[in-house]
Formats: sequence, C-alpha cells, structure tokens
Amino acid sequence: MIFKRIKKLKFVNFRLSTKLIITYILLTVIPMAILGSIAYSQYTKSIEEQLGEYIPKLLKQSNENIENKFKELATLPDLIYNSESVVAILRKGETTSLSEGNRDHYIVRNFFLSTFLSSNNSEILGVFLTSNNQVFENSRLRYEGHYLENSFTDNEEVVLFVGDMQVLPPYQSDLVFEGKPPFFLLKKNIIDFDNRRTIGTLYIAVETAFIERVFYNLDNEDKADMWLMNRNGRILYHTDSSKIGTTYHEINDYPILNGSFHSNESGVSTLISLDETTNMDWILVHSIPTKFLTERADVVTNIIIILLILLVLVTTLISIYLALTVTRPISTLGRLMKDVEQGDFQVEIPIHSKDEVGLLARSFRSMVTKIRELIRINYQNELRQKNAEFYALQSQINPHFMYNTLETIGMAVEEGDSDIVVDMVTVLGRMLRFSLSNKDQLVQISKEVLHVRDYLSIQKFRFEDQLDFHIDETINCDDYYTPKFILQPIVENSIKYGFTKRGKLTIHIDVIKEVTGNGEDVLFIIRDDGPGIDRNKLTEIYELLELESGPIGERDSGFGISNVHARVETMFGKEYGVQINSEEGKGTEVVIRTSLIPGTEVSKYINSRGFSENGSN
Amino acid sequence: MFRGIAVTLFFTFAIVVSGCGTKAQYEVIFNGETLKQAEEQENIENLDKYKIGIVSKIRGISYFYAVEEGVIEAGEDLGVEVIFRGPSDATWESQKDVIEEMIAKDVDVLAIAANDPSKLGSALQKARDQGIKVITWDSDTDPEFREFYINMLDPEILGRHLMDSLALRTEEIGNYIILTGSASSANLNDWIEWIRVQNEEYYPNLKLLDIIPTDEDHHKAYTTALQVIEEYPNLTGIIAISTINPPAVAEALKFRNKEGDIVLIGTTTPNLIREYVKDDTVHVNTLWSPQKLGYLTVSLAKDLLDGTLPYDGQNIPKNGNIRVIGDTVIMGLPLDFTKENVDQYDF
Repeated sequence: MIFKRIKKLKFVNFRLSTKLIITYILLTVIPMAILGSIAYSQYTKSIEEQLGEYIPKLLKQSNENIENKFKELATLPDLIYNSESVVAILRKGETTSLSEGNRDHYIVRNFFLSTFLSSNNSEILGVFLTSNNQVFENSRLRYEGHYLENSFTDNEEVVLFVGDMQVLPPYQSDLVFEGKPPFFLLKKNIIDFDNRRTIGTLYIAVETAFIERVFYNLDNEDKADMWLMNRNGRILYHTDSSKIGTTYHEINDYPILNGSFHSNESGVSTLISLDETTNMDWILVHSIPTKFLTERADVVTNIIIILLILLVLVTTLISIYLALTVTRPISTLGRLMKDVEQGDFQVEIPIHSKDEVGLLARSFRSMVTKIRELIRINYQNELRQKNAEFYALQSQINPHFMYNTLETIGMAVEEGDSDIVVDMVTVLGRMLRFSLSNKDQLVQISKEVLHVRDYLSIQKFRFEDQLDFHIDETINCDDYYTPKFILQPIVENSIKYGFTKRGKLTIHIDVIKEVTGNGEDVLFIIRDDGPGIDRNKLTEIYELLELESGPIGERDSGFGISNVHARVETMFGKEYGVQINSEEGKGTEVVIRTSLIPGTEVSKYINSRGFSENGSN
Repeated sequence: MFRGIAVTLFFTFAIVVSGCGTKAQYEVIFNGETLKQAEEQENIENLDKYKIGIVSKIRGISYFYAVEEGVIEAGEDLGVEVIFRGPSDATWESQKDVIEEMIAKDVDVLAIAANDPSKLGSALQKARDQGIKVITWDSDTDPEFREFYINMLDPEILGRHLMDSLALRTEEIGNYIILTGSASSANLNDWIEWIRVQNEEYYPNLKLLDIIPTDEDHHKAYTTALQVIEEYPNLTGIIAISTINPPAVAEALKFRNKEGDIVLIGTTTPNLIREYVKDDTVHVNTLWSPQKLGYLTVSLAKDLLDGTLPYDGQNIPKNGNIRVIGDTVIMGLPLDFTKENVDQYDF
C-alpha cells in the first residue's frame, strides 16, 4: 500500500511530458511484447505439434524399412538350405579323416564366398558356422576373436529377436573386424527340417550401414538422437555408438510408446517421438531438442526483437515529439499568461493550431483582446464623463454665459426688480452647486430636470417673452435616476440655433416612461419650434453621433449632443442614446432614451458601467 | 522510473513466455498408440485354449509315428494342445469314429489325413457345424469339407519324378507295376495319375502292367509283391507308393533273389528302407520328412485360429518356406534317399 501510494504520488508528480512519454511507451511496448511473446509461443507450439505428428509417421516408415531389412537379413541363413552339400556336411557330424574335414571346410568356405560374400551382399562382413565343435568361416575383412557363443549367452538381454533369428547389436561381441566397422551379428540355428534337429549355428556379421542410411534420411543434419531399443530400454543401436548396449531407464516413465511427447528431462526441452514395430520387438526413438525445431522461428524472433527495439526507439521519439507538441504550447501559453499578469496586454500568441491547445490559445487571445477592449472602453467612458462635467462647468462658468447672466442681473437691479435679482442669483448659485458639488454620474431625474429648469429660467430672464418653456414630468422624478448633464447640452443647442431666424422660441421638455420588450425606458423629449435643421446638417449630426466623442475642448454645437449620445449609449447599450427628428421651419425634436433606473440599481450602473455590454463600438 | 518500466516488462515477458507456468515432465503431443496391445492380449488368451486334433490314416506304422513326433514338437514350440489319433485300420469307417472322438473332445481345429475323399463328408460337416475348423493333410477330401489341404509336395512333381527315376534305371524300356496304399486314397491316386502322364509323354517303351492296392498292410504288401514277381517274369520295375509297400516289396525281392534285377522305386521313410537302399535292393526312395509335415500342420492350424490363412512363400519357423496353390499348401520338394545320402536322414 505504502509503496503503491508513493509510486502513485511519484507518477502524479511527474511532468506532463514525462507522463505522456511513459504512457505512449507503455501503450506501444507492452502490447507489442505481449503479442510477440504469444505469437512466438504459439508458433513454436504449432511447430512442435506438426512435427510431433509428422515425425512418428516418418518413424513408422523408417521402422518398417528397418524391419523389412531385418526380415530380409533373416532370410539369409536360409540360403544354407540351398546347398545340399553343405547341409550334408552339417548332418554328417564328425569327420573320419583330416583330409575329409579340410575338404568340408573348402566346400563350406566356397559356398559362403559365392552365396554371402558375393558383390550382391556387400554389407556382409563375415560368415561363421559352428557345427559339431567345428567352425566354418569366411570373411571379407580380417578379424580378431570370435567367442560367438559367449557373446550371445552373456548378453541375452541385448539380443534382438527377428523371428527365430537373434541379432547382436554392434560392439557387443569380441569379434572385431579390421577397421572396426560397426556390425550387427546375426545368429540363427540351422535346423534340419527333415530330421527335426539343429545341425549348426550360423553367424553373419552385417554392416550397420543400412540403419545408418535410415537414420541419415530421418535427420541429415545430425541434430537429433535416434536409437533402437527394446521394451526394457536396452539400446540396440544408437547414433551415439557409445550408448549401444546400455539401458535407457527413462523408457519406464514414457507415457506412450507410439507418438510424440514433449520432455523437459534434465532441463533440456526435447521433442521425443517413438514408434514401436508392429511385428518385432523394438522401439525406434527420435529425440530432438526443441531449440533445433524452432531455429527458424528463433531467427524470426530475433528479427522481431530488433524490430521491436527499433519500434520502441521510434515510438519513444514520436512520443517525445508528441508530448512536446502538446506541452510546449501549454508552457508557452503559461509564460504569456505570466506576461499578461505583469500587465502586458499586447502579447503575441504564436499558436495557430486547431486542436484543443489552439482553442485554448484562441480563447486566451480573445480574452486578452476583450480585457484590452474593456480597459479602453472604461477609459473612454471616464474620459467622456469628465468631458461632460468639464463641458457643463465650462458652459456655466462660460464667460459669455456669465456675462449675459450677470448683465441680466445688472439690468434687473437697475430696474429695481429685486425679486428677480434674488431669484436669478439663487438659481445661478444652485446651478453652480449642481455642477461643482455633485461628483455622481447618476443623479435623480428631478435634480437633472431642476438643473435644466434653472438654466432655462436664467435664459428666460434674459430673453423674457422671446423664450418660453414647459417641462412635463409624467413619472416620479425623485425615484428614478439618470446620467448627469444630458439635458443641458441639448437645450443649450436649441437656444443657440432656435433664435437665429425667429424672434420667439418655445421649448417643451417631456419626461415620460415607455414600456418596451426589454423593460421600461425613460424618454426625455426636448422639442422646440425653432427653424429646424436642414437635411444635410442632420446627416452631419447623425454622422457625428456615430463617431466617438469629438476632440476635447472644442466648443462645438455638435459636441454637446454627441457627448450625451456616447455616454448614454455606453451606459445602456446600442438601442439607447440620442435621436433627432427635425423638419425645416417647424422645429426640432430631440429624444434621449435611457433605461429606467430605480434608486436600488444605481450602484449596478456605476460599478459595472461598460462591463455589462457586449461589443460596443 | 525506467527501472519500474523494466520490471513491468520483465514480468509481462516472464508470464507470457512461461505460458501456464508449471509443466508436466512429459507432455504428450501426438498419440499414435493403436489397439494393437488389446489385440495381443486377446491372442494370448485364445492361445491357452487352442486345442488341435490331428487324425492320421492309420495307427501303428512308423510314418505316422514320425508325423506325431513333429506334431508334438510343434505343440510344445507353439504352446498349443495337440491330440494325435489314428484308426486301427486304413478305412474311412474307423476314421469316422476318430472324428467323433475329436468332436467330443471339443477341438478347435481338426486336421485329418483322409482315407476317403467324400465318404467322410458327413462326419466332417458335423464337426464344422460345431464350430470346428477342418483342414486336411497328407491326403485330401473334397474341397467343400475343409478349409485347405496341406500337401507334402506337388503331386505332379512327385509323380513325374518317380517315373523319371524308374526310366533312368530301366533305360526307358520294360514293364512295371505300381503298388499303392489304397484305391481310394486321393493323394496316392494323384501321384499315379502324374506317373502315367509322364510315362505317356516321354517313355513309349515303358509299359504299366497293373496298379495294385495293398491297404497299408505290410503282410498284404509282401504277399502281393511275391505274387507279382511270380506273375510277371519280365517285370523290370516296381513303383511302390505308400510307406508300407517299399520295405515289403524289397523284402519280397530279396526273398526271391531278384534284388538288382527288378528296379524298385519307393516312397517311404529312410528308417524303414535304409538297409535295402544300401544293398541296392531299392534304387531310389523318395519321400518327405513326416515330422516336418506334422510340425507344419500344427503351425498352420494355429495360424488359422489366429485368423491367418497360409500364403505363398510364407516362412514357417523351423520349417522353411511353403507354396500355396489355390487352397492347397505344398510343404516342399521331394527328398531322394539314395545309397549315398540315406544316412543323413533319421526318420
């Protein structure tokens, strides 16, 4: 558990690139290793199965060949019966004279030479015939020692029976031919069928070449061990000649004597195939280490392992590359985020891919852009507000306005109309206080209306009957708020242009509430019966409204309207702002549309001003 | 980190390569064992029960004693029970009683040297109805009564050879008679037939005067021989077939001091005729080894019970190769016992 947790923690703590590399490698290497191993084991198994079925068939055939050869050999002694003279010598028993004995030997030797040692039977090394304590012999090669009877009686167990012929395996007798060729010694009693008695024993030494040929045909690469043994495990012939005559004890453990099985005996994986003769009493065994069987598979395996290693290297490189392609943009992004955090909003994000990292980069890019934009909007709003305040202040402490006002007051004083003077001074003071004291951007509608009323009252004192104005409020102006200084610039404009061609000007200001699909709006409608604005001028003004605020300080007529429009639009949205309807000769109507702002929502507009909007400008 | 990966990989490899982990020392891949062993078992069981009955033509003559020796030898060698019986005279009636006896003993195979080819039919059929396999040896019955017939030799070869032997020693001129064992013995009649064929084909100056059966009886053979010598003063040769006849004829010739004047060709065992061959009373005596015949009969009877029928060229242990023509087994070639080689044979 602890180990696991440590390991887990460790893995969790790896860098992402390391994790990715490890994951990629594991995902490729492990399946490949498993697949390779399974394929190899299945392949070797199927080879073993195929050969396990095939070899016994070969063995059966070989066994039959050997069997037939032995059967053929078993007929050799019968050739004796073809020679009546030889049979007569054997039947006779003791010889009466030396010369007769020598003549018998001569006859038998010649018979052996012509019958057994002719070129047809080149495998026969020598023939020995014992009868009545005599030994008749003839051989192809010189030889030493021939205690034939002893060899057979002492090694009864080693002896192989082919019918009634006994076969002594190589190296089991004292008989040694020149050049020490291995040979089977066949022993067969010569029976006088007619007299029903044994008249001699024939020994024929036959070279083992025929069995070697069979073995060679089975395995010409000298990889397998092959041997013949009887059911007791006595080895009658073996590819390793030193094992001939020994006992193979493992045979007792063998599960079958026909077929194939896999053995792990003495640690060596071996495929052992056996075939038992059908008619005789021996077992042919073929034993081959499986490594020889799978040699070709092993070459393939080695190639596969090399390929696997190469593949692992390649996948490692690829995984490193992939990991880096994933992690490098991420770290780049991280670095850029740090830069942004430091205040650099002008960063260049060099990631343009379409994947998730690209998306992330794009989002980040748009976020930075947005932040930059918001910062700019905020900055502008602030600037506009300041402009408006400055403008309002300017218009109130405008020397021209002050001069006109003071002149009007002066005239009133001259006329001794002290009530008017008091009123005017009071109004002027209230106006100045409204402009200077109030830092808020939003004010109660009533205060804004009061301010414009004050402004108009002062103008009324000045223009007297020439100017008339009516202010209608259909909503409770104390409960709702409006941006500051939105009415005065419009009214100022009306007075400025309204008097130009006619002597009298009436200004109506209506504050009304309008219910729209989005909620409730407040409309400030300033109507005058001035000369109106011609079409070109109106278009100009509209263009001005579309633009951002004009140059600061320019005391242009259009400036006031556009400043109001920009501030209202920025604060409430596109659908809000200033609208001008004018007809030449009939008058002008300016509508300022703002949102209905109850007192409870003032803070929302002040704090979130600009942030609640999307894509202004 | 890399050690962790290496360990993981190693374990993966180890598990996959080792397969199921532990393996038995011997894992059989292909089993080629057949039902051979079971069959062998069955054969061994059957072997204990094998009982083979051999019926000879007649009891008490040396030829069939010799056959019996071979039969007993084979019984010991092959591990089967053998019963050898012969009737007191060479008639089919008494042989029928022996067959009944054999049926009563419940033998597996009945091998008979038939005294009559057809009259024993009903008795043999009775044996076959009881599940006893019937074969014939020495002298055949009609083919429908037996599985196969073991003939000592090819009757054609023997018949022609006997004729040749006679012709060689009579210089192909003269009169001769044939003494046979019984008029109804199938094999003897075959031989006689071939003797006549050879005579007609090659030896126009040799004349067969008579064929006389002696009923396998020594005394009758002797008296018949004496009669013949009386009757035909110009007689140049006698062919005496059946084993009883040659010694009886030789005895008669010696009695009449005719040895050497009348050429005697016979078929009998060497022991019965040895002295006569040596003193030239009998010129050529042709036969086979009766022991070998007995041995062969038991061997083939056992093979029959094992389900193997004899085939041409088959090598019978301790017996040599046989020939098979149709349903007749031929044991071998005839042996000529002459003055020079008769001592080689002892039966």
